[in-house]
Amino acid sequence: MRSLYTGLLVGLLIWPLLPAAAEPASDPDAGIQENVQTLKQQVLELNRDLFMLEEELLFPSNTQVSVFVSMDVGKFFQLDSVQLKIDGKEVADYLYTPREIDALIRGGVQRLHIGNLRNGEHELVAFFTGKGPKGRDYRRGATTTISKGLGPKYVELKIVDRSSNYQPEFAVKEW
Amino acid sequence: MAPRRLLVFALWLAAVAVAGTAAAGKPRQVLDLDYGEVLFHFYQEDYFTAITHLMAAQQHNRLPHHRQDAEMLMGGLQLSYGMLDLAQARFHRLLDADPDSELHERVWYYLTKINYQRGHYRKAYATLQETGAPEDKALSAELALLGANINMALGNDRAAADSLKTVRAPEGWKEYLHINRGIALLRAGDIEQGRQLLDALGQQPAASEELRALRDRANLGLGYQLLRNGDSTAARQYLNRVRLQGPFVQAALLGAGWADAEGGDFQQALTPWMALLKISGHQPAAQEARLAVPYALAQMGDGKRAVAFYEQALSYYDSEQQQVEAAIESARSGTLIALLSQADTGISGGWLHENPTLEGVPSGRYLVDVLSGNNFQESLKDYRDLGYLSDALGNWLDKTALYHDMVDARRLAYQQRAPKIRARLEKHETALLQQRWQHYQAQIAAARAPSAPIKLANTAEKHQWRRLQNLQRRLATLPDEPRYQRLRERAEWLRGVLSWRLQSDYQARWWESHKQLRGIEPLLHEAAARHANIVKALHSAKAGFDGYDRRIEALRGRILALLPRIEAARGASGQHLQRLALGELETRKQRLSSYRSQARFALARSYDQLARNPQVLP
Repeated sequence: MRSLYTGLLVGLLIWPLLPAAAEPASDPDAGIQENVQTLKQQVLELNRDLFMLEEELLFPSNTQVSVFVSMDVGKFFQLDSVQLKIDGKEVADYLYTPREIDALIRGGVQRLHIGNLRNGEHELVAFFTGKGPKGRDYRRGATTTISKGLGPKYVELKIVDRSSNYQPEFAVKEW
Repeated sequence: MAPRRLLVFALWLAAVAVAGTAAAGKPRQVLDLDYGEVLFHFYQEDYFTAITHLMAAQQHNRLPHHRQDAEMLMGGLQLSYGMLDLAQARFHRLLDADPDSELHERVWYYLTKINYQRGHYRKAYATLQETGAPEDKALSAELALLGANINMALGNDRAAADSLKTVRAPEGWKEYLHINRGIALLRAGDIEQGRQLLDALGQQPAASEELRALRDRANLGLGYQLLRNGDSTAARQYLNRVRLQGPFVQAALLGAGWADAEGGDFQQALTPWMALLKISGHQPAAQEARLAVPYALAQMGDGKRAVAFYEQALSYYDSEQQQVEAAIESARSGTLIALLSQADTGISGGWLHENPTLEGVPSGRYLVDVLSGNNFQESLKDYRDLGYLSDALGNWLDKTALYHDMVDARRLAYQQRAPKIRARLEKHETALLQQRWQHYQAQIAAARAPSAPIKLANTAEKHQWRRLQNLQRRLATLPDEPRYQRLRERAEWLRGVLSWRLQSDYQARWWESHKQLRGIEPLLHEAAARHANIVKALHSAKAGFDGYDRRIEALRGRILALLPRIEAARGASGQHLQRLALGELETRKQRLSSYRSQARFALARSYDQLARNPQVLP
């Protein structure tokens, strides 16, 4: 029975001493993996070409307008949703997930809307809803007039922490 | 650990991506919106979308401020998305192409990571030597852990422990460094130092479940190591610290029982082992406890109960063997592959955070165990990725039909509108306007002459001027009488007044006319350009529509060519997963078979003992 005890113990002793960091994946079937890598690359290239075709067809560069949302630290404002109106018409009403908020805080920029506009001036209104300082419900708007010319137009809605008055600031930047 | 590892990897990339070179003090801001959008997807582990957008942005040349960062990010994304070959080739290209030493350090880090992931530990060790000492604490900790893992994989346990000794680590990282160092020390045979380290870690308050599990693991590892070294009293002390609600409770209870048994206290050993029997588990620890309990009873001289528990154990192993065989049959018959479809979450990349549910599947608990294994998870990522690729291309296939319709609709609209537009163009309105403008321009130039103020007269003034001229001509034909003489003088006076008015307003009028004509000039140019554009668009529209049709059809052909290849690869991946699962289940079956043999042998021996000592028989 002692041998039984020893056998069991040796088996159990191995795994607690494995490094706590992730073990590397074994290489059980390199052929499948290589094939998958090749397929991924080919599909990605195809996806890129389809994505570009779609953009050309649906949003030609002369009329294309994209509106982005970015955020810096997010200390004074916890974003829940953004509503966007262009020339009085609602074009986006977006509710954010915690993962998306995290991605924004870490420097990601979300393309909130892509659409088409004629050349000329257009009114853009954005409403930001969330929790403001001290957890209070917070809703603020930002309005601007954008000028659409030839070529695609990029507009960035920026949520910036203003430490001077401990309030969030909502700014619109035309690119 | 995987989420933690990924988190740090993401942080590292974030530093790379956003800050460029943190050491160089560049501002942490996104200078190209397209680049920021790629990061947005990347931070959500949506690698497929992130890579697609990055490739498109590069193709459109929309990343003028992040060219180098984009190359690094692409390599990192490929690495995260399991495209190790391409990532490796890209990093080698970056090493060759760019002399920036800061960049080189990062590239070497990635190459080390790739080599380690592939199990090429010697290569990983060589590339690790090329990485410098990062200033970022999180990265420094990540690098140290990676280095320690490589060293341990090569059997250099002492070097692994030493490399973790003086690492600058941010909050939340120290525990991981300590447990890895403690383990490395134990493996290197330095029991005392390893024990001190893990002992301290095992007593630390832990705020999160992750840290609590880490603390349990430290206590468990230390307890088993001491048990192996024969220090059962100390081993029991550490095993007692493992939480009853934690993931390591079964191994801890089994070890605690063995620690008591090692000290000769079989009665005490029964407490954790009996508790383990009550846990309806099928983990090795729970299965082994089925043998351990009657072993302790036999050692205590309670042959009757030992026989009863051995018989229970045999019955249990028979039942479990049937369960495993059912699970094997279930896996072979394709149930496992069907279950894998539950792993298709519609999200590209990342880890599967929840195991598929196995309700209604015979012996599903064994399959769940297999699915949770790290090897299986790695292979499952490929399987899921292929499913995602197939879905993505399927969606595109549907869209291509819509795009054809869209192009057709535009072609029809063009055919309806083009004749009217052509007719209007043929009126040459722009050219006529241009001519009129040139005419007025010539007039203005002519009016610049000092003797020509009348040319700037308005219509009424010109009318008055002509009437006066006519009047004066008629007056000249009349007799030379005083009454006509007065009229001639009056006409001359009126002509003088008109002439004076035209003369005095001349400069202002000339300037106003000149200004207005000059203001019209750009509008005329714009109109001419639009005219030319419309002519060009009309001319090229048909070719454009046909071009779109050809492009859509070519892309559709590529989709149709790839889809069966993806399905085949997914099938092969599924088969590979099935082989892995079957291998694991076979191992479990053999283990159960071994337990069963030992139980039968022990039971036979117990019967013998009872036969030799008949007074204890019922």
